[in-house]
Amino acid sequence: MITGLDMDRRNLLKWSAIVPLAAAAPYTALAAVPQGVDALVIDRRHWPAGTPTPLAGLAAPQLFTIDGDVTQLWYQTLDPIWRKPGFVLGGVTGSDALFVLEVLAGDRGRRVTQRRVLDPVVAGLQPVSWIIAPHHPSVKG
Amino acid sequence: MTTPKGISAQVFADGLAEMRSAVGADWVFTSQEDLHTYRDFYSVLWDEPDERVASAAVAPASVEEVQAVVRAANARGIPVYPISTGRNLGYGGAAPVYSGSVVIDLKRMNRIIDVDEGNASCLVEPGVSYFDMYRHLQETGSKLWLDVPDPGWGSMVGNALDSGGGYTAAPYRGHFEAQCGIEAVLGDGELFRTGMGALPGSETWQQYKMGIGPSLDGLFRQSSLGVVTKMGFWLFPQPEAYLSASIDLQRFEDVEPLVDLFNELEYGNIFNGMPSITSPVLTRGNPMMFQPVPEPEVMNRMVEETGLPAWRATAGFYGPEKVIRAQWEYMRDRFSAQFQNVTFKENQFVKLPLSAEDMQKVSKARFGVPSLEIFSVGSNGFGDFNPSDGHIWFSAIIPRTGKGLVEANRVMRRECARLGIPLFMFSPAVTCWTRSFVLFAAVPVYKDGRNKELRDNVQEIIRICAQHGWGEYRCPPAFQDAVMDSYSFNNNILRRVNERIKDALDPNGIISAGRYGVWPKHLRGGRG
Repeated sequence: MITGLDMDRRNLLKWSAIVPLAAAAPYTALAAVPQGVDALVIDRRHWPAGTPTPLAGLAAPQLFTIDGDVTQLWYQTLDPIWRKPGFVLGGVTGSDALFVLEVLAGDRGRRVTQRRVLDPVVAGLQPVSWIIAPHHPSVKG
Repeated sequence: MTTPKGISAQVFADGLAEMRSAVGADWVFTSQEDLHTYRDFYSVLWDEPDERVASAAVAPASVEEVQAVVRAANARGIPVYPISTGRNLGYGGAAPVYSGSVVIDLKRMNRIIDVDEGNASCLVEPGVSYFDMYRHLQETGSKLWLDVPDPGWGSMVGNALDSGGGYTAAPYRGHFEAQCGIEAVLGDGELFRTGMGALPGSETWQQYKMGIGPSLDGLFRQSSLGVVTKMGFWLFPQPEAYLSASIDLQRFEDVEPLVDLFNELEYGNIFNGMPSITSPVLTRGNPMMFQPVPEPEVMNRMVEETGLPAWRATAGFYGPEKVIRAQWEYMRDRFSAQFQNVTFKENQFVKLPLSAEDMQKVSKARFGVPSLEIFSVGSNGFGDFNPSDGHIWFSAIIPRTGKGLVEANRVMRRECARLGIPLFMFSPAVTCWTRSFVLFAAVPVYKDGRNKELRDNVQEIIRICAQHGWGEYRCPPAFQDAVMDSYSFNNNILRRVNERIKDALDPNGIISAGRYGVWPKHLRGGRG
């Protein structure tokens, strides 16, 4: 497993650019997610209404979706995972959701190792692409 | 590496070395990257020279390690600032009040030591979050609820020590009121227990608060006297059902008898859930913003023109269905007998435990279910704000009367408008705490240089409220001196007695210097 710190910046930027902020985006292009990411979080508030969820063809083993609120994702899935070593999480979410995830990740020795603010801001909602990876020795894989 | 003011680099390094030997090198943090996580992300001093920042952080995992850390600090006069999980956003977060303090981060002390089903109580360490306890209760099949704040990601201990509040039944909503038993490490490293915890062999630590002699639990509320390492709480036996019901009244003049009757019914245990009193006509358009209360004839005309009630009182009932329906019927009878044009509405009735379907419909905090949903509220239509940009809370205790509600609303809205304080949430009568109204205002903070004016304006609001007899019960560190100053009876005897206690229990003044305006002797002259 690689950490977010090891991730190639060009790959991250490429991945960020193709995440479906545009209505006509080809979602299968998410397969270009950088290697080493164990799961992706997609914030459906940035998701065009009526488009199918792009579960097929993803390079990331798991895709999680939220509607801004991270409660269930964190409580059901991330909290148990983050208590163990390893696990690199990528995402494209609103900055509000990232703020919450970043604080929670900090509790478990994890950091946002890469972030990129994306356009456009819609209804006051700033989309951000990011990577959260283990940082503290107790959770490094 | 920065060092605390007045502490040499060598002494500080020696102190950190002793702390490392106590907790392990991986759990002492000194890099800027690590210390960034201990900043107050909602600070009104963000990136300014006076921002309150930590010089280091240390994360002990046991009481013994806490004692070793405190002793290392006490021997050298190194200031320390304990946090449970540091989630006190809007009131200071994880950052110390006195810049340069070493944060004692207690998140690794996350053991749920005991949950007593029969006594409906628990004993926990400070790193136990509401989510941790909720998960524990769910996984063990407990029939107990905990009362949660919103958001619910903080520490049970930390939230209670800062007087946080929740949303279920009266004995549990005031989180410090629901505590029963405290263990704390004092400034010299000695271990102290309150109440029945002071009696070896006692099985009643979480049953009887007072023990013998003066009750000392309050010494640790918003305190600079110790590092709390255990705390007991009373939990809520899961009720059979919940009912939320509202009473609408149509005239401005109804507000005073409304509050009086509501108080009588709550204090007489006719309802036990969190009450709310609001004004549909004055919150139309944005339920989070209570508009200024106009003159009676204006408000009554607004009611006629909009068809919206002047006042809405909502009560919650927890208990057996037969009982709470009878209580609601009694309330209706009382209001019908006293008011004209009163209308009633049953908002929600659910049998408990919540079904998966009900869980999606309810306000989770009313059912002791922690949530982080509030962080996405700003993006979901309640006004034009994003909570992650930062805000502070202004939280003043006002009289629990109709007159008090109206006057506080008018003064606060008028003065905030005059000073140009932009509010994004305003509610004049929050009832998390027993027998009180708390006027809550959420004030956005900035990271672009506008905070100086904001600080000056908030200080002015503190002074104005104090002139009316309204004091804040909790506030961010930048305002704690001003608020403590406002409690000025008998030449600020409250602060002076706190200082005497501080000097006696923590003579080297190492713990939480300046917290809530109580400074150690060597920093008192310049107030830190």
